[in-house]
Amino acid sequence: MKILICVKQVPEITDVKINPETGTLIREGVDSILNPFCEYAVECGLDLRRHYSDIEIVAISMGPPQARAALMRCLEMGADRAILLADRKFAGSDTWATAFTLAEAIRAMEDDFDIILVGKQAIDGDTAQVGPELAEILGIPQIMYAVGVELTGNKKKIRVKREIETGNEIVEVKLPGLVSLSKGPMIRSVSSFKEILDARKKELRVITASDLNIDENVFGLKGSFTQVVKIFPPRVKKKGEVIDGSEAGGAAEKLVGFLRERNFI
Amino acid sequence: MHKIITEIVPTVDFKGVRCIKGYNKICQDYSPYLSDESKLAHQGAEYLFFPTNEGELSAVFREMAKKGIKVTISGARTGLVGGAVPYGGAIVSLEKFDKILGLRYDSNLKEWLVRAECGVSLRDLNNWAMKKIFPGLSESGSAETKAFLERYKEIKTTYFYPPDPTEMGAALGGTASTNASGARTYKYGATRNWVRFIRVMLASGEVLEIPRGKYFATLAGEFTITDSNGNETIVTIPSYTMPSTKNAAGIFSAPNMDLIDLFIGSEGNFGAITEVETALQKWDKPVSIVQFFPSDDKAIDFVISLRKEKGIRPEFIEFYSSHALDLLRKKQKEDPKVVGMPPIPDYAKSAIFFDIRFDPETKDNDYPKLEKIVSKCGSTLARSWAGYEQRDLERFKNFRHVLPETVNSIIADRKKRIPELYKLGTDLAVPDQALEEIWAFYKSTLEETGLEWVAFGHIGNNHIHINIIPGSLTEMQAGLSIYNEFAKKAVALGGTVSAEHGIGKIKKEFLSIMFSDKELEEMKAVKIALDPGLLINPGNVLDIATDLHRCPQIG
Repeated sequence: MKILICVKQVPEITDVKINPETGTLIREGVDSILNPFCEYAVECGLDLRRHYSDIEIVAISMGPPQARAALMRCLEMGADRAILLADRKFAGSDTWATAFTLAEAIRAMEDDFDIILVGKQAIDGDTAQVGPELAEILGIPQIMYAVGVELTGNKKKIRVKREIETGNEIVEVKLPGLVSLSKGPMIRSVSSFKEILDARKKELRVITASDLNIDENVFGLKGSFTQVVKIFPPRVKKKGEVIDGSEAGGAAEKLVGFLRERNFI
Repeated sequence: MHKIITEIVPTVDFKGVRCIKGYNKICQDYSPYLSDESKLAHQGAEYLFFPTNEGELSAVFREMAKKGIKVTISGARTGLVGGAVPYGGAIVSLEKFDKILGLRYDSNLKEWLVRAECGVSLRDLNNWAMKKIFPGLSESGSAETKAFLERYKEIKTTYFYPPDPTEMGAALGGTASTNASGARTYKYGATRNWVRFIRVMLASGEVLEIPRGKYFATLAGEFTITDSNGNETIVTIPSYTMPSTKNAAGIFSAPNMDLIDLFIGSEGNFGAITEVETALQKWDKPVSIVQFFPSDDKAIDFVISLRKEKGIRPEFIEFYSSHALDLLRKKQKEDPKVVGMPPIPDYAKSAIFFDIRFDPETKDNDYPKLEKIVSKCGSTLARSWAGYEQRDLERFKNFRHVLPETVNSIIADRKKRIPELYKLGTDLAVPDQALEEIWAFYKSTLEETGLEWVAFGHIGNNHIHINIIPGSLTEMQAGLSIYNEFAKKAVALGGTVSAEHGIGKIKKEFLSIMFSDKELEEMKAVKIALDPGLLINPGNVLDIATDLHRCPQIG
């Protein structure tokens, strides 16, 4: 079984300062880290490997050459190998172009995957779009906001506990599929010095645009259709009223009363 | 040269210095100025001054001397031995001395130097040095300073200020006065090693400007200080030999010593250090490692082997005893976030925490010598925690810091039941060859008593903190007696009764274990020569009869 984990390097948020004139992040002198939600995805992959044998974990990222550091963190945590999509031609990619490039690389090199794990969003852009777009492009099912993942007995399906507004739900889908993680361990894991040293002996392959053999107009800035104009939190929906349906007659009576009160009926 | 002349600073009107008056007012509204990290009970103060420059400080000293009011100097109050806790009289806070004054490269010393007022915190100093941003210096500095600042920004090397007494809120002046040390002393030495220049205001209100390497004691061990009236004072340094270990007990003394060293580590007894110039060190990327071992003894074997291995130069070597790890495990169950680390593995019966150079971007990271030593001591590199990202370095440092904090919280809790209880924390160090012997002595003595205890700290300098956590007054008395025995043993082995905390007001009785009556008298003679009115820091280090509570009215 093969698990692909798509990750992103982000600036460490506690240190981020905004340029008051341009409204953009000041990245100079700011440490870069593996996006915490991506780290949850790696933890999830490692957890699956602890429970089920014969799982290969491959970490993939698209970013500048320094994004190697984020992939190195994945290797230290326990990923078997890593792929970095790094090319100036990828610069300026929006979420769609990023997902498209990742999908092309996966099709070209890791087509035999079973599961793709991603973080629910990156803490710098907060778009939460690359994961779902990647699933759409690859034509596989997606389950967002996972808090727990396990395989079914025959390893043909994945069972995911996911967060929804009213609590959690369990969803099961056939593999291959994509899962985004929104929770991980309360305390970040720590690697041993041996793991840190060994990680540097693992394969970390750098892929450029020419390796993918696709039209240059479909990735990077040229392939990007969107632009982030403003970021704001979604409006919180008011908490609805749940009517206990265990006693049908009473529930119907309550529902009718509710609708009449508001002149719906 | 052994002769130095004092400098008069421009006088200002004493009445213009900000002052809070009245015992009750200070107790009610300014109580933080009455204590420090020792939590020693204060005896109040009648005045609290906030001078903003040397002129104002001089005016305060002169007025207090005229009125016979004793002065306790207050910095960031991070000391552990009550140095800033007032025993009556006046408190002079130097917190307004918070400006950066200069940056330069000394081509003779081949080092970058930062000059700042005494109230600047080590945290700020380090942030400025590492991020290469010195607030206000590019506007207020001289043309020469501005040129140096530009040059400093352009070079790719990162620099930092190595002394790290754990509490980075400590003030630069305070750390110079106390010769603060800490974990990194193992590689970089204590504050003394980094101070290149000071300005110190004497009790007379006049200033000594002392660059390192200019004023040295005569063969007879004397310095001559001439004041603005032409009066000469001869200061005779003590005749004793300092221990070869890390040490914070007693006035520094050495043949042909530099005058600057008399003031560094004097715990503010001879004057107030107002400006400090320190050297910066090139910063190499490190990896923090917590290496677990199957027993305390194996961890100590590892330290001894690691120190011998010249190819590996850790910045610090810190110890967690078996009991210390147990205490942290318990804390992890109560509140995992406070410890901030995954569960400590069951196989870990002790640990050594150290930093070594590590370039995460280099492929050829190989540490065969380290691997060999670890394996010889019954462990493997797989049985470790390691991290090199800045957030991990801070996280590991917190893991070290959380241990004494946990002990403190246990004591604070027990104090609610028995207010007289306090933590018994040793600060003893011995020479390298005595590490195994002192550890065996600590362990066998403590295990016999059945007292609750943990051991941790700067084992690289053979400076293990034993913390006895008494549950009753009987246990506390037993602990005190043991502490005394430990101090005697450390001195007998050529060590010190205080390696880093200093003596202050709460460890004075230990001085007589380390120094003879004659030697103590020699220290007192230095104090009397430099501060004949015994104006500054009453009750600190040396007991010289004074009338502390007399406090006449001032205008």
